[in-house]
Amino acid sequence: MSALLEVRNVSKHFGGVRANHDVSFSVEPGIVLGLIGPNGAGKTTLFNCITGYYPPTHGDVFFDGKRINGYPPDRVCKLGMARTWQKVRPLAKLTVLENAVVGALCRTNSVAEAKEIALEQLRVVRMEKRAPVLAGGLPIGERKKLELARVLATRPRMILLDEVMGGLNAHESEEIIQLILDVKKRGLTQVVIEHDMKAIVRTCDRIVVLNSGEKLAEGSPQQIVNDPRVMAAYLGDSGGAKA
Amino acid sequence: MRTLIISAVALLAFLLVPLFVQSPYALHIFILLFMAVALGESWNVIGGYAGQYSVGHSAWYGLGAYGAFILLQRNATPPWFGVWVAVAVAVVVALAVGWITFRLRGPYFVLASIAVAEIIRLLALNWKDLTNGAEGILASDIPPLKLGETVITDWNSKTPYYYMGLLLAVFCIAVNLVVKRSKLGYYLQAIREDQDAAHSLGIPLTLCKNAALGISAALTALAGSFAALYIGFIEPQAVFGIDISIQLLLTCIIGGIGTITGPLFGAIVLVLLSEALRSSLAQAHLLVYGVLVIAVILTMPDGIVGFVVQRMRRKAGTQ
Repeated sequence: MSALLEVRNVSKHFGGVRANHDVSFSVEPGIVLGLIGPNGAGKTTLFNCITGYYPPTHGDVFFDGKRINGYPPDRVCKLGMARTWQKVRPLAKLTVLENAVVGALCRTNSVAEAKEIALEQLRVVRMEKRAPVLAGGLPIGERKKLELARVLATRPRMILLDEVMGGLNAHESEEIIQLILDVKKRGLTQVVIEHDMKAIVRTCDRIVVLNSGEKLAEGSPQQIVNDPRVMAAYLGDSGGAKA
Repeated sequence: MRTLIISAVALLAFLLVPLFVQSPYALHIFILLFMAVALGESWNVIGGYAGQYSVGHSAWYGLGAYGAFILLQRNATPPWFGVWVAVAVAVVVALAVGWITFRLRGPYFVLASIAVAEIIRLLALNWKDLTNGAEGILASDIPPLKLGETVITDWNSKTPYYYMGLLLAVFCIAVNLVVKRSKLGYYLQAIREDQDAAHSLGIPLTLCKNAALGISAALTALAGSFAALYIGFIEPQAVFGIDISIQLLLTCIIGGIGTITGPLFGAIVLVLLSEALRSSLAQAHLLVYGVLVIAVILTMPDGIVGFVVQRMRRKAGTQ
């Protein structure tokens, strides 16, 4: 099966800082790929390179066989790849419904039709009752769900979720995990940045580990959890550190 | 539905005013009010919905004014044709400027908008063959407006200006309504709230901002040419000066940015305030005016409309 997203030898340098260096992986249609790594490993930078916020310094990004580096974010979204933000970005002075409508307008010019799509997606994240509330007044858990509804409303073929569980309590995280699994059942391809290993193991088919901007490992959740290099990256190299 | 009825009644009342009010001064105040409403609503499209705080709207105001004046003066083109040429010129220049300045964000865009208006003002000041420089242009008589052979008006009283002003204000409000409820309106508000998030949701930023600027510049030019023809005299400082830009901005800030009714209330407050102070305080009126404006901004940061809406929400919440 050919990959929906292919990241080929992507590097992103900011002056002397190598935020990403020679990272390659591919994402087949329908799977959930986990992207993990310690803080500062370059996960969000990689998202930004893929979705058009930064042009990669080297390397290429292919979406559905098409080379998309240099595409601005709006074109990337139109092609069918939508992202959420680690630090949530609600359109504060718009209502919950209007937030989702903005996403839905990506595929239609009719505001009435966009409202229907938006409501449908709010139902998916179980927020239809909050539709008339201003997004700026939502608690963090609902903001994260709204962000998810908003990207789903763009009718993407693939979504990139940047720490959608960050800052949530156990109950809220569980809700998000269920949502990711629901969305997966509908055949939507996902790339998920996450720190919570339990959530990653439950949702992901495959995991890519980044460390200091480079790909450290790739494999099934079982392989990754048992990989000593990954342990070392997260907890420090015990042998070296003690000596 | 209720707002529709209120609007219809208000419009009818305004249509009837000249039948009962004969005082030229009273009609003059109404005309100033209509101009302020039209200008505030014009700025609202780019400043209110898209959140791009242009402080250079005098550029479009002045281009409208000069365009209509020059055509009237040189070719004896009646304003109701000349105005559209002026509007077209303003839109073309606005799109060229927008294409360059919309790469800038926040305060940098504000500065660029001021700079552009200054450049155009200096051009108007020094391109004497076209603009008559600092001496300005005195409007020649406007030819009578005829429909077939019937003369509708010869522009010799305030009444025709009253109706033109009313039409202009209603038109600008209508455009705001259409924009706000359209796809463009949603996109502009998304850009205002969070530009990066908007971009990631498939919104072409520069295209949307330019569309908003084009609409805004067209309305401002229209209102500018009307204002200039009403006053009957233009010179670079009076129409391209930063005071004009600030007046538009203040109308919206005081009334409530990004709302349809905001510029309406802002215009009422500003026009009445400045007229009342002018007649009672003479030279000191600008000082008091300034202090009052600051007081309003401090106590009602979301404008009059924002303040009222908040009060109503709080009231609804406590009941």
